[in-house]
Amino acid sequence: MPICRVMNEMIPLPSRFTDRAALLAHIRALAGDSAADMPVPDIAAGGRRAAETALAAIDPRAYAVSRNHLDGAVTRLSPYIRHGVLSLDEVRNAALASVGDARQAEKFIQELAWRDYWQRVYLAHPERIWADVESYKTGFDASEYDPDLPADIAAGETGVACIDQFVATLVDTGYLHNHARMYLAAYIVHWRRVCWQAGARFFLDHLIDGDPASNNLSWQWIASTFSNKPYIFNLENVAKYCGPDINTIPRHNLVLDQSYERLSDLLFPYMGGTHG
Amino acid sequence: MADLVWLHEEALRLTHPVFAAAGPDAACVFVWDAARLAESHVGLKRQLFIYETLCEMASARAMEIHQGQAEAVLPRLAEAAGAGRILVPASPDPAIRAAIACLRRAAPHCEVVAVEDTPFATLTSQPDLRRFFRYWNKAKKSALRPQGI
Ligand SMILES: Cc1cc2nc3c(=O)[nH]c(=O)nc-3n(C[C@H](O)[C@H](O)[C@H](O)COP(=O)(O)OP(=O)(O)OC[C@H]3O[C@@H](n4cnc5c(N)ncnc54)[C@H](O)[C@@H]3O)c2cc1C
Repeated sequence: MPICRVMNEMIPLPSRFTDRAALLAHIRALAGDSAADMPVPDIAAGGRRAAETALAAIDPRAYAVSRNHLDGAVTRLSPYIRHGVLSLDEVRNAALASVGDARQAEKFIQELAWRDYWQRVYLAHPERIWADVESYKTGFDASEYDPDLPADIAAGETGVACIDQFVATLVDTGYLHNHARMYLAAYIVHWRRVCWQAGARFFLDHLIDGDPASNNLSWQWIASTFSNKPYIFNLENVAKYCGPDINTIPRHNLVLDQSYERLSDLLFPYMGGTHG
Repeated sequence: MADLVWLHEEALRLTHPVFAAAGPDAACVFVWDAARLAESHVGLKRQLFIYETLCEMASARAMEIHQGQAEAVLPRLAEAAGAGRILVPASPDPAIRAAIACLRRAAPHCEVVAVEDTPFATLTSQPDLRRFFRYWNKAKKSALRPQGI
């Protein structure tokens, strides 16, 4: 039986503000956040109008060929979908309407399906959101992972240039491209041996599309507690997908500048075989 | 009897089926529970996004934002609005599901109805959720059709 909280205050709140700064000040007051000045973050606009503008711009054909690249034709619909400003159904319908043949939208719709899948797992097994679904397939026991996120990661001061850039983007904009999420999550879990839950909390605190199911189960996919093997990457892969805005100079990213075979030996010394 | 729509952060749109289920004159409320948001790791950036969305919705339809806890605020608002039903978008979030269960006990004279969103894929049997592709193999045909049917 759920525990019902009892707090009987009931206070109507305003819905008109002169600008985003005024709204942010209001939200911070509600949160009891009295820390020093916080600049207005550079996040996507809330609301249905902004969502419809983003939906009108989707290009499922371009998406299919470029979505893995940081500058690819990804849609940035995630905060709208996550908060129900757009339904998955209407996004799929718009994708189908924008192509001549449903197959041209298949890759995009398959990505939408990942969300539907994670939501179904969440509904059927809510305990899986914070608990390991399976054990780690890394040669390490769960107890060997740090339960807390190291401060240098949260501050974006790891000294690994591309990782620090991804952290800065996450913290400043509340958004990261899927590939950057994968790199950052893999770095945290496998290079730093931090438990996925600590990383998942960090992401949820910052992402404007932060979703218990899509986020935490994706972290488990990276960690190998909800997949058949750990996900890792190397600097060559980052350089291939990230373009010139991301620093992939080898001497600035030493721990990533290895072959997959060598990385596997370094990261998972108690496990045989190669990963990619 | 009138209806009350309880909107939460999983379903922030006026075209959600909860509104069609409730009828045009239904009162509508979002309950801003800063403690619950913080517990659920909804950071300030996301709170800003959510509140900005609420402001736009409130400019298009009569809607109130109340500070407090849903379980405590809603029975009183329902009473004030003379509502016989509270309609809420269905959600897998255990905190929302727990609040719905509490509400059913706190407001026994109100019917509390969870309204599902339009489906993405219609599946004839329970899919195997152990891996994505087992689900996708079952869902694909429906997911690639308009309305998922
Ligand atoms: C470690 C990690 C954490 C993540 N955390 C979140 C999260 O908190 N919230 C979230 O919505 N997504 C999350 N994702 C999934 C994915 O990265 C984002 O949905 C996507 O990058 C959002 O950008 P977009 O809207 O431009 O996506 P697009 O590529 O344009 O995709 C369109 C839509 O499909 C859905 N989608 C696409 N890929 C996925 C996926 N792998 N899983 C679930 N849904 C998907 C999203 O709703 C997205 O908006 C995470 C992925 C990883 C690897």
